[in-house]
Amino acid sequence: MTTKSEQQSAGRGIRQSMSELHTWVGLLLGWVLYAMFLTGTVSYFKDELSQWARPELARLTERPDAAVVAQRIATAFDKVAPGTSQWSVRLPDDRNNSAYAFWRTASREPGQRGFAEGHFDPATGERVAARDTLGGDFFYRFHFQFHYMPVPWGRWLAGIAAMFMLVAIISGVITHKKIFVDFFTFRWGKGQRSWLDAHNMLSVFGLPFHAMITYTGLVTLMAMYMPWGGQVAIKSPAERQQLQAELSAFTQPGKPSGQKVPMASITEMVREAQQRWGHDNVGRVNVTHSGDAAARVTVTRGDSGRLSMSPQYMEFEGTTGRLLSARDEVGGAAETRGVLYALHLGRFGDGFTRWLYFLVSLAGTAMVGTGLVMWTVKRRQKLSDPARPHIGFRLVERLNIAGIAGLSIAMTAFLWGNRLLPTTLAGRANWEVDLFFIVWALALGHALLRPVRAAWVEQLGAASVLLFLLPVLNAATTQRPFWHSVAQGDWVFAGIDLMCWAFAALHLVLARRTARHHLAAPIKRRADRPGAAAIASGGAAE
Amino acid sequence: MSHVVALMFSLAGFAALACASRRQQRDLFGGSLGSAVTLGFRLAGGAALLGALAVLVAWHGWGLALVMYSGHTSLAAGIVGAVLIVYGRSARPKFRPR
Repeated sequence: MTTKSEQQSAGRGIRQSMSELHTWVGLLLGWVLYAMFLTGTVSYFKDELSQWARPELARLTERPDAAVVAQRIATAFDKVAPGTSQWSVRLPDDRNNSAYAFWRTASREPGQRGFAEGHFDPATGERVAARDTLGGDFFYRFHFQFHYMPVPWGRWLAGIAAMFMLVAIISGVITHKKIFVDFFTFRWGKGQRSWLDAHNMLSVFGLPFHAMITYTGLVTLMAMYMPWGGQVAIKSPAERQQLQAELSAFTQPGKPSGQKVPMASITEMVREAQQRWGHDNVGRVNVTHSGDAAARVTVTRGDSGRLSMSPQYMEFEGTTGRLLSARDEVGGAAETRGVLYALHLGRFGDGFTRWLYFLVSLAGTAMVGTGLVMWTVKRRQKLSDPARPHIGFRLVERLNIAGIAGLSIAMTAFLWGNRLLPTTLAGRANWEVDLFFIVWALALGHALLRPVRAAWVEQLGAASVLLFLLPVLNAATTQRPFWHSVAQGDWVFAGIDLMCWAFAALHLVLARRTARHHLAAPIKRRADRPGAAAIASGGAAE
Repeated sequence: MSHVVALMFSLAGFAALACASRRQQRDLFGGSLGSAVTLGFRLAGGAALLGALAVLVAWHGWGLALVMYSGHTSLAAGIVGAVLIVYGRSARPKFRPR
């Protein structure tokens, strides 16, 4: 039988263990997590960022009729890619001003199936010559598979980081014993205590979201991380095809008959889908073997208002328009995965819900950032010689600067590159990405070479200037300056300009606070100003 | 519209719950309030948060409402927390050592 004091001691032991676990799982991949969080956060507006990245594409003043657009694109494909075995188009909607399509091309190498892609004008169906860019898709892809490494490696790294995050969340909850009592507690100017309070507030306010987004992030790639069950249960090609149908509406083309037959009206097929799901709730049209007797047309439901990514689609016989099958539901396991996937992506929500996702995810980014900075703040106080910290401490300090402030500069540089790189540049989209990494590497070099506080101030200041001037650059290089966007009611372009200025102000405040503490440090480092002392000795905000 | 109403309920709920916290009572009112008043704030806060959930469920159904509710409560808690920080900073005596 244990005594009360032994129980209390055991409780403290568990809390202490969890605290250490929280600290180290948070730190080891903290910079990866910060980058995943920030790029994931902006990805909630990836469609809007992609619109901004292609200013040549005209703004849609009203949503076009999906049925009419789909037929226009189908007609265009007779010229763009005659004889392709499959093409698929994402129809324009409230967040996308173009129809984006990809299609199969002749194999480039034996055993490989090539794809091509392009944007199409919804009004004419003609292919649009927009600048070569990944737009918001770069941040979205980077968020879960990074870059310059094989996709599976990147996804494994993201999965390991997400698992670390999940452990950090659970251990953090156990560590934080006064979640409700200290719910609103923030002690200003108390150094390490202030950082801890800020970290706790950012964590606790969005705790359901942070836990959900981390867990669902793991679920989105669970079949890759844990493939063994599927490998045992599903062996034949027919079973694999059945599984694929449970997870995605994208089907592989079958064999063509070789008999040429004109296609039926795709407009009518989409109309039938509109009657089923609503006029503005058709997402994609997929056509295989167009013009062949074996042609199939699949119309998929849009994401709006549906808390699931499980496929819902109608399959038609291409030459007659006859409905062959309609899938409205999947099995329980597939639906569970579909709901969790949808929760992660947040595409079901209206504009307000998307902003909620963005803001709480931004708080999650700040949660990771404050945790990283706190690691150095806490340990700096224990250094035997703060002027000459050990190598591990210096490494964390410098990686914090490049990982937090440097990432802001790199992401903004990507957007600058979008406006400044010549549209005729070969491999332009890759150059934008290269620019992102070149600037990020330069930020790391700068952080390694400069004194810590100066590096924080300079990088935060640089991010602020670049963000502030981005709308100016946009005004100078496109026909869509801020005032024009406001006058036209183009809130995609105006909103991105405003967000740039808001983030510029945030970086400026952080830079100024860091610089001010630096200047005041020799005077204010007093016993009655522990916060100033800690901040002055720590860096940015640190 | 449902978002505005739900956010108002959430803000009121967290404001009431903040007033029910001892530390915030000291900061806002200069001392601890009576247990009956504290309980009243706590009940009012809980009721307002349930009201926010009810509004969202009525408008959007349970599935979407629960997701939105999570966002609304996080945002409202953040706003109330930020207001308390700003209030605490502005209400603090301006002591400047000479």
